[in-house]
Parts: sequence; structure tokens; C-alpha cells
Amino acid sequence: MTDRFHHPDDREARSAARVRALEALLIEKGVITSKTVDTVLNVFETKMGPFNGARIVARAWVDPAFKQRLIEDAPAAIAELTDLPEGMAGAEGEHMRAVANGEGVHNLVICTLCSCYPWPVLGLPPYWYKDPTFRSRAAREPRAVLKEFGLTVPESTEVKVWDSSAQIRWFVIPERPAGTEGMSEGELAALVTPEAMMGVAVAASA
Amino acid sequence: MKLQHYLGGLEGLGPITVETRVFVEEWEKRIFGIHTAMMALSPQLPLPATPSAFRTVWTWAHLRTGAEGLNPFDYFKYRYYEKWLGGISGYFIENGYITEEELEARTAEYLADPDKPLPQGGAPEIDQRVERYLAEGDSPKRDVAILPDFQEGDTVQVRNVPTLEHTRLPGFLRNHSGVVETVYPGAYGYLTDTGTDGVGAPMPVYCVRFEAKDLWPGNTEPNVTLYADLYAAYVTKPTA
Repeated sequence: MTDRFHHPDDREARSAARVRALEALLIEKGVITSKTVDTVLNVFETKMGPFNGARIVARAWVDPAFKQRLIEDAPAAIAELTDLPEGMAGAEGEHMRAVANGEGVHNLVICTLCSCYPWPVLGLPPYWYKDPTFRSRAAREPRAVLKEFGLTVPESTEVKVWDSSAQIRWFVIPERPAGTEGMSEGELAALVTPEAMMGVAVAASA
Repeated sequence: MKLQHYLGGLEGLGPITVETRVFVEEWEKRIFGIHTAMMALSPQLPLPATPSAFRTVWTWAHLRTGAEGLNPFDYFKYRYYEKWLGGISGYFIENGYITEEELEARTAEYLADPDKPLPQGGAPEIDQRVERYLAEGDSPKRDVAILPDFQEGDTVQVRNVPTLEHTRLPGFLRNHSGVVETVYPGAYGYLTDTGTDGVGAPMPVYCVRFEAKDLWPGNTEPNVTLYADLYAAYVTKPTA
């Protein structure tokens, strides 16, 4: 039993070698090409990532009617922003929904079963979101979890926890920070973090 | 009863590790790319055929089922992408694409010489399909007219369905009562048939609202509401 949790000293080197071997064999056998994995990774550098979500939130901050449309029909509202990359309704974004923080409500998105995440607006999930400790604890004690992220939510604010257990990929519209009046959308977008768009943080201050 | 289906609300787990990186090792990016390519090349998708040798079905459901089927101690022992690497390697061996001996032998070569190059080449149609899959997605919404049994505001009870392998029902919700917050328009299939667990064929999906104080009586925090998206197979009329 005590040996079960042992990892070899060269744990990472072994995994690196194994995945390289797998990739090599799959290329040789014609399953994928030598460019396939990099093709995938490039999509998450250039097309699907938090840079999209930040622009969407910035627009919601400057345009309350857009924010309302985003809450009512996220895909349609996102499609209004014609200079976003292709694929905003693509993989893991086919059915996205946005919930807004503010007016006595703080939203937190989790996936207790796995790690469902809105790829087009936020890219790939960070380690904390995929961590079974986070996934488990957030379902019962979200305020304590948020405290560990450095966020205190007053008891008078309702905490809504959204478990992404079917087709919806949730994200949060964080509150616009104080002291940001007159900032451009580009400047506002720089304040929006992936953590703020999942509800474990507020947007950065100006 | 698989622990992995019941992770919500476990106690005694210790502090959150706030790691904001997506990948903590370079090798993790490679297994992510391979998984995504497998989903893109999976033959049930309505995408143009390619010269790829990939002929078997692979979806999120397959990846999840593998992880859910692990010894629960191994589920916690292995990091996220370590589980992916184990599950996906196993899949390629079980489906006859590679042998365990080949994988072991090649792994030893790369362990001895990590910078040994990868083979080159392959049909561009494969990578085109992968890009198209990411851009277009794979919606589970189906053009089937099914009237939902419940409407917004209805109280529903979560069913204690007989799950054998895979589920989309968070276990901590079983037998609890909630209120329908949203009836999603239309009907939704799932990537696999979960058998007696109940999902797969197109059906309504409900967003159901639960009070934390009902889920964890005396053992939660004030003013917390939990929402879960539940397939119709997972909810029923409350017992009288």
C-alpha cells in the first residue's frame, strides 16, 4: 500500500520519453503528421485563448446593452464582435453561457466531474481548475476556496456555483474595477484575467 | 460506485494549489495535442475523410471513462496529463495501432536520447481536418422535437441512476431536490451511450438550482447556491 504513491525520481523524463515515443509511432503509422500536435497548440496561441474573453468582457463593461445581450445569448453577442478569431462557437464553445458578478451576486464556475472549460473565450484550463482538490471543495465551501485565492466575498453576497455537467460551458463577467472610467477597451481588456472569468478572482485594478 | 463520480464536497483535502499555468511540463502539451487530434479524426464526425490511419472512435467520453475507471488512489496519485498519457497509450495498444513492446522500446530510445528527432511527414489533409474540428466544434444538440417534462420553477428530484462506467451526473446530487432554473431549448445527445446510467440519446437538459444548505446540512457556508446542468434522464418528479 505505501508503495502505491511512489513516483520514480525520473518521473517527468519518463513521461516525456513516453509521449515522444507515442507521437513518433503515431506519425510513422500515419495516424497523425509531424505537424499535427503543433497545429493544435498553435490554435491555442492564436485563435482560442483568454485574449478573446478579455475583449468580450471589456466590451461588456463599456456597453451595458451588449452585456445584457451577452447574458441572454452569449454566442449571438460574441458573433457581433466580427474581429475575433474564427472558432468562437467551435470546440468546447458550441453552447456557452455568461453570468455576471455584481448586484449582490458572485459567480464561480467549476466542473466536479472533469475539467469542462469554455475554450474559445478562455483557451485551456489552468492547473488549479483541473485540480481535484479545487473541484471537490468548491462544491461545498466556495467561500473558503475563494479566500485561498485571496478573495473575500461578504456573507451578504450570494455565491452561485455553476457545475458544468452537460453541454454548457460557463464563464463569468467580472465586475468592472473602480477607477477605470475613461479607459479604452484595450486598456480595460488588460485588466481581465482568466481567474476573474471563472470567478476565483476579481479583475485587476487600474 | 466510483469515487471519481462523487468528488463534489469531499472534506479534509487540504489547501488549493493556485497554479495558473495550463501545462507545468513541456511534454504535457504533446499528449494534449494527440488527444485533440484523435477527437478531430474520429470517424463519426461529419468532416472530410483524410488519409489518416485513425479509424476508431475517440471522444471526450472515452477520455473521461478511462479516468473514471482508474483505481481511485491512482486517480489522485497521477497528475491530470499523466492520466491522459496512460489512458491514450492504452487505447492505441488495445485498438491495435501500436504494441506495448513497440512503445516500451521507443520510450527507452527517447529516454536515452531525448533530443532524437521525431519522424517527419504526413498528409496535410489530416492537419486541415484538425483545424476545422477546432473551428467548427461538435455540438450535441440534435434536431429532434422532444417536449420537456419540466418547466422553469418546477421542483425536481435527482434520480439515483444505476451507473456502471461513465456518468454526467455529479454524485453528490443524487436523491436531492432542486428547482429548474432553465430549460435549455431543444434536445441534446451525449458522446457515448452510458447504458443504465441513462444518457446518450437526445433529450432535454435542465439547469437545476440547489441550496447548499440542503446538499450539506449544517456543513456548508451561508448564502450559497449550486447549479448543475442535468440531462432529463437524471431528474424526476419529486416523490409525494
